[in-house]
Amino acid sequence: MLVTAALCALAARRIRMPAIVAWIIAGLLLGPATGWVSLTPTLDGIASAGIVLLLFLVGLELSLDRIRDVGATAIVAGLGQVLFTVAGGLLLCRWLGFDWMAALFIATGLTFSSTVVVVKLLEEKGELDSLYGRIAVGIFLVQDMVVILIMTFLAGLGQGEGETGWKVAAVGIGKAFGGMALLLAITLGAARWLLRRPFAWAARSPETNLVWSLGWCFLIVWLSHAFGLSHEIGAFLAGISLAQLPYSGDLRRRVAPLMSVFIAVFFVGLGVRLDTGGAPLNLMAVAILSLFVLLGNPLIFIWIISKMGYSRRTSFKTSVTVAQISEFSFIFASMGVTMGLVGNEVLSITALVGILTIGISAYMILFSDQLYLWVRKRGLLNWVRASGPAEERKTKSHGLELEGHVIVVGMNSLGRELVRRLDHVGWPVLAIDNDPKKLEGLPGHSLLGDAESLALLNEARLDKARLLISTLHIEPANDLLAFRCKQAGVPAAIHAVDLDYIGHLLDMDTAFLMVPKVDGAKRQRKVLEELGFLKR
Amino acid sequence: MSELVILVLGAVLAFGLAQGLRLPVIPLLVGIGFALAQAGVATGDLNDMLELGLAFLLFSAGIELHPNRFVKHRKAVLWTAASQFVLAAACGFGVALALGFAAFPAAYIAAALGTSSTLVVVRQLQRRVGAAGSYGRIVIGVLLVQDLAMITLLVVLSRLGEGAAAMLTAAGGLAVLIAAALAFQRWMSARLARRLQTDEELLLLSVISVLFGFSWLAVQLGLPLAAGSFLAGLALSAFPANGVSRSILRSLTTVFLALFFTALGARLEMPDLAMVGKVLAMCGVVWLVTPLLVTRVVERTGKLTRRSALTCGLLLTQTSEFSLVLAIYGLKLDQMPEEVFALITWVAVLTMTVTPFVATDRVARRFLSWMPRKIPRKTELRDHVLMLGFGSGGIWALKPLTAAGHRVVVVDEDPAVVAQLRAKGVEALTGDASDEHFLLHEVAGLEAKLVLVALPDPRDAARIARMLPGVTVVARVFEHDHVEPVRAAGAIPVMNSLAAADTFMEWFEQTIGKKEETPPN
Repeated sequence: MLVTAALCALAARRIRMPAIVAWIIAGLLLGPATGWVSLTPTLDGIASAGIVLLLFLVGLELSLDRIRDVGATAIVAGLGQVLFTVAGGLLLCRWLGFDWMAALFIATGLTFSSTVVVVKLLEEKGELDSLYGRIAVGIFLVQDMVVILIMTFLAGLGQGEGETGWKVAAVGIGKAFGGMALLLAITLGAARWLLRRPFAWAARSPETNLVWSLGWCFLIVWLSHAFGLSHEIGAFLAGISLAQLPYSGDLRRRVAPLMSVFIAVFFVGLGVRLDTGGAPLNLMAVAILSLFVLLGNPLIFIWIISKMGYSRRTSFKTSVTVAQISEFSFIFASMGVTMGLVGNEVLSITALVGILTIGISAYMILFSDQLYLWVRKRGLLNWVRASGPAEERKTKSHGLELEGHVIVVGMNSLGRELVRRLDHVGWPVLAIDNDPKKLEGLPGHSLLGDAESLALLNEARLDKARLLISTLHIEPANDLLAFRCKQAGVPAAIHAVDLDYIGHLLDMDTAFLMVPKVDGAKRQRKVLEELGFLKR
Repeated sequence: MSELVILVLGAVLAFGLAQGLRLPVIPLLVGIGFALAQAGVATGDLNDMLELGLAFLLFSAGIELHPNRFVKHRKAVLWTAASQFVLAAACGFGVALALGFAAFPAAYIAAALGTSSTLVVVRQLQRRVGAAGSYGRIVIGVLLVQDLAMITLLVVLSRLGEGAAAMLTAAGGLAVLIAAALAFQRWMSARLARRLQTDEELLLLSVISVLFGFSWLAVQLGLPLAAGSFLAGLALSAFPANGVSRSILRSLTTVFLALFFTALGARLEMPDLAMVGKVLAMCGVVWLVTPLLVTRVVERTGKLTRRSALTCGLLLTQTSEFSLVLAIYGLKLDQMPEEVFALITWVAVLTMTVTPFVATDRVARRFLSWMPRKIPRKTELRDHVLMLGFGSGGIWALKPLTAAGHRVVVVDEDPAVVAQLRAKGVEALTGDASDEHFLLHEVAGLEAKLVLVALPDPRDAARIARMLPGVTVVARVFEHDHVEPVRAAGAIPVMNSLAAADTFMEWFEQTIGKKEETPPN
């Protein structure tokens, strides 16, 4: 399954197709088309772990204050969009000839946008942290909350007729709100008072740090599950609570590869699961509803957001992110079918609209800048007027804005000495080590993490560096660093631990080999001269 | 979901304990998994998790398999691995038979006792201060050879009892798979690493596709999945693909490892008294036979000093994660009762836990003092200069000292180095320079006018200085932390790292620093 996913992703790269579309296509090939793969509980488990990790990462990326300044916008826009889309969808469905119940289900299904899809795309684009990215994430979380409320409500209704059903629904909703409040209190309180010390201790070993963080994440997810909330919300809150810690950057890089693997399973699974329900297809309805999602949803949004004082560009880019329906819509529709409220055709319509809109909106999001220029050129946005001053602030990126710097890996005595001396002669230096203790008290910049990780070296701006120095005693790591430097076209000065094993370093055209043993022997000579054993 | 959460929380506890108590994490994971199952919160019904974890475990072991890192010690590596695999296993087989096991389960137990744990030993080596010398390379090599032997054994066992034809087909399949892996390693892996250098996500998926692709191929060829995973690792074990894959898989491996061993522990049943006795008997075999055997063989074939050989022996005193893999397969193939599975697992847990306490310098010294030693030769050395440890830098001290007319005696633990020096007419001998007896009697340490120390273990310098009061001792160290103990012992420290910093800065100012007259900023 993953093999197909990777092959599709590789092929997709050639034609600049977003990876998630490729994955879903892989799923379609494996599932409905050939029937090779069916979803086992394990695969399901991995897929949901993928979602958890994705949202955990989002939380890690966005610290609390970065979410706070878009919070109000997100709530208003999220709720507003739900209202308008449901109303619009309802009318549209009635016009297409559905009965009230089916119309209600389809319209509600159209409201939800897929958090997972959009967050993954924004991450791929590296714009999670931009203003519009944060607004979008906020909106999705609000939508998630709405989804939960509606589902709890429906589940309550399904449990009993009349009186009892209402009661169950009310209790469920109360539980969801109470749980949300409690969870918020727990994570934020923990972030402030509880987590700092234990994690400072755990961070001394990267593995412990990773396992502990995942433990915390899954604990919160489990709690949120117990309160009847979604995994996404729990994971996001867990991420936020760890984002304040000084080790979150390293953690992010370590969780990212885990997430990519698991989330691929999720998307392929989405394709596999795609169930057309077997009912005859109303292609006309599918086309019209898809258009509504692709165009109507963003339009509603542009209107709401620009009213709140954001610039045209931000409004536009935020709005583009909602132009698809979510995997929840499928679940929602199948819930309706199992409860006997609607027929199979609702499920098949939702499924098809889903695959169409997810596929197309993936392109829209990835190329939203180009799309914006195109639309603006034609004057299509002239009706949008920001009602207040554009309050886009230049957002500071996580990355270090270094150029022409020297990267020093491994803060042993040699590494620390080099950092000090290079800094002393005025060079910008970046120190890397995976033990936070060893990075303390150094001049210049520092990064915590595994120097072997590509993500870390990208963050260290290896491609812009003037030189990379590794003082590590670990041969394989040094070899790999030499290789990475050669690929990036940056000269490397590497510690030759054992002169009998420097073949790889020589193959990689290492600019300078440091051999402390020889240097030490030469220095020893001076000592022997002072002691009178050698003549000066 | 809650099952997974409990496992993850168990792992949290295990990693915390491992870090706090400085124990290996594997036995703790298994132990906590066991405790969780006993408390009734985990069921151990996680076969899929076990499979996935297993695949990753073997894959990451395979990636490390490239023989480049120990070519120099090939002979010692092969001899040690083979003799441990055969002799320790033979002892285990005998004891198992004596304890009343049938031949087949006894064979499983034997094989489980014949290997040591890569994961535990590598961690121990990393913890040692300074670069672990030749013995480190030998130990790593031994572990890799044993892993390979275990995979072969798995293939053989999976077809045992199906007749010779089935065995031959399996062997053929294995040959095909190995050929595929080697071909991939030769022609594809470097391209993969270069081509996908910039896109981490795609690279990761490709690496995992290699893993599952080979696993799939293995199943198609009628081989155990484990063989496929391991050979997939082999396919990526050439530089630079191995480094690239290792760095990208690190988190995945950690997580799957944690889940795998916790789930494994959750499968165990509470041992009764008879079981405890059997476990202890088997541990006894590991604790007695392995160190003695390995020390002997390494000393002979690797020509290391007895202390280094003994360190090898003590480091390898545990059974392997592959023993656990073997046990899982035995259970799956229905070739042994649950009891044997439990026995093998408990022995692994116990021996792994004990390793960090046994494989220490202090224990090695204690052992050495019990071993018989040669009667020292009478030495007429006086007023000489002793160089303890030659290494890469020694020549820079040797030449000026002999030129100045001093009589220089070199001690090194590597017989190859000593032979080279002797061929050039230098007085040199192999030996453990930190051994008091050797130092005082064989090379007349107290009579020397100057002693230069450049040994891999930085603690040796202070120790030697204390043994030689009144003698001028100059010791080379790398870390700041080691300067004070050396000075306190009365020796003169020379810092290799500072000297290297000088040389580097000189080079830097002449090349990169010079090109840009004024550095940026």
